[in-house]
Amino acid sequence: MSRLLVVDDEANIRLLYAEELSEDGYEVVTAAGTAEAVEKLQEGIFDLAVLDIKLKNESGIDLLQKLVKERHDMPVILCSAFSCYKDDFSAWLADGYVVKSGDLSELKQEISRVLSKKAQRHNTGQ
Amino acid sequence: MDWECCWNRDAVSSGECPNLREGDEDLLEFPQRRVLEKCCDCPNFRHDLERFEASGHPLATVFSLIHSEYRRQKIHIQSLISFLDNKSLEIRFLHELGSVLQSSVDLEEVLSVALTAITAGQGFGMNRAFLLMLNHDLDQLQGYLAIGPRNYEEAHQVWDEIAHNDMDLQTLAQSFRANKLTAERAKFHDILEQISVPLSNTSHILVKALDGQQPLLIENAFHHPDVDPGFAVLLGVDTFLLMPLVSRNRRIGVIIADNCITRRRISEEDMQSLETFTFPVAFAIERASLYERVQVELNRVTEAHNKLKVQQELIVKMEKMALVGRITSSIAHSVRNPLMIIGGFARSMLRSTPDSDPKRNFIESIVSEARQLEGVLDEILNYSDSLYPTKDFWDVNQLVETAFRDSTDTLSARGYSCRFSAGNGLPPAYIDFKQVSYCLRIILQCDLNSNGHERLMEISTGQENDTIVIRIQDRGHYLSQQEMEDVLVPFSSTQEMGAGFGLALCSTMLEKQGIQLNASTSPEEGITFTVTLPTHKEVQQ
Repeated sequence: MSRLLVVDDEANIRLLYAEELSEDGYEVVTAAGTAEAVEKLQEGIFDLAVLDIKLKNESGIDLLQKLVKERHDMPVILCSAFSCYKDDFSAWLADGYVVKSGDLSELKQEISRVLSKKAQRHNTGQ
Repeated sequence: MDWECCWNRDAVSSGECPNLREGDEDLLEFPQRRVLEKCCDCPNFRHDLERFEASGHPLATVFSLIHSEYRRQKIHIQSLISFLDNKSLEIRFLHELGSVLQSSVDLEEVLSVALTAITAGQGFGMNRAFLLMLNHDLDQLQGYLAIGPRNYEEAHQVWDEIAHNDMDLQTLAQSFRANKLTAERAKFHDILEQISVPLSNTSHILVKALDGQQPLLIENAFHHPDVDPGFAVLLGVDTFLLMPLVSRNRRIGVIIADNCITRRRISEEDMQSLETFTFPVAFAIERASLYERVQVELNRVTEAHNKLKVQQELIVKMEKMALVGRITSSIAHSVRNPLMIIGGFARSMLRSTPDSDPKRNFIESIVSEARQLEGVLDEILNYSDSLYPTKDFWDVNQLVETAFRDSTDTLSARGYSCRFSAGNGLPPAYIDFKQVSYCLRIILQCDLNSNGHERLMEISTGQENDTIVIRIQDRGHYLSQQEMEDVLVPFSSTQEMGAGFGLALCSTMLEKQGIQLNASTSPEEGITFTVTLPTHKEVQQ
């Protein structure tokens, strides 16, 4: 079972992600901000992180840069209310980018694609 | 004693006095005035005086003395009257000249008046005049303008013309400026071009005149120790006058005047009159030159002011855009998240609600409306993004490949096969990458009414003149020309927000960047979108 870390400042969104993704067979751990996310990351290993970009007074992009530097083996998907970040260079560090929607099928597809890619990389020893 | 002159008669008839002319009728009966004005100069009166002296009368010697002195004084007075008349004419001319010079700030008009005054008969009556101006950048005197005939034939023709038209100085100058200024410049171009003297050459007669700030009358120029023989040959005259133009100790130029045709002697009086004239001329030339420079500076300032105004408007616009950006950002976060939560949980509930449940329809409505609202939100946010494009040079093939890759899944799901033909050696396009990328994705993914034909999407890139053209041919769709036009016009009658508004939005976004989006449609070819991208930065107006 893949472990996912979901970081979003909205409690209901965290709940929705947890419900939907758990139903799809993932183990979901949520965090409301950067500090909590870092804490959760220290507690255990995750296969993938889903980050919101606007986290109250924090930036998901900053957290992304930190994760890329410190947890480069853990893929990250940005999930934001803003489509405009998709073409921003700073967002290109992420393995995937999904615009928030009530229809989570795009996010689920992206998680599946990124995890498959990670598994392939792992199998080929890269 | 019988006197020969009529001085002792109270009245005379018109034939009796040889000195009376037409217009002197009132003297016939006024002996005192007749004696003083006519008799004193009459040979008959002198004979009478000689006879009176011979008579030995004791008053005769005294009377002769008084008569001689009277005549001398009379000649002197007449000479003074003549001098005053000439001065009066000169003052009138200078006044006229001064009025014209003082009222004009047009350099060409000032120069026309000045040179016309020097050469016109009613002016100083010189044959020819050259104006040399000081080039402050090169620090040298340069030939600028000349006026006058080059030979006898031309001189007579011009003078006849002037005499025939009988124009005053100002009219003459205006006529010269309108009809002859350019021709005179061309006529004397060969001479003017050769007159170029650095101010450092202080031994040159022109620089001497300018530095000395005094007019110089040069005679015997071909053998004059201070005159360069080449300069004398260039002018072709033996005698000429140099008048420095100095305004408040600032050197303006030099006027050379000569009588190359009539060879009339240039007198000291000519020099003095012209010296008086050069002060207002120098001042007027300097003022007109300064006015020209002020005009140039004013134009620059006006231009700078206009640019600043445009920049200020741009800044205000950008501030408004920033405000719009902040508002839309706030909307995105405040609206999208609740929408997502509503739609997401509704979907979740829908999955676990059996078909037979009467509440399923309500949940389906929530899902559908939430999806619709998300679409509207996307379009509002994309439109606000488009208000201020950030342009740079980008590789078009890479741009198309990215948009193509992002759309592949959607197109495959609709049963489309896709082909991309990339143009070779394309220059980069000057565009806002994000916006054009968004527009290409919208064009590729737009779901217009299908005509059921072959499902093929073909994209090609190529260069046409200074632009790069992206062609997207969708063989799976067809619309009438009217429907096609409606699709590209925002808020046309066939559209609603969130329902096919995307193409119109693209059209507006691209238009703001100066990018053309055209669409053509035919039942055989389907729909062809053409996006024409610039390869250069637009020229600043």
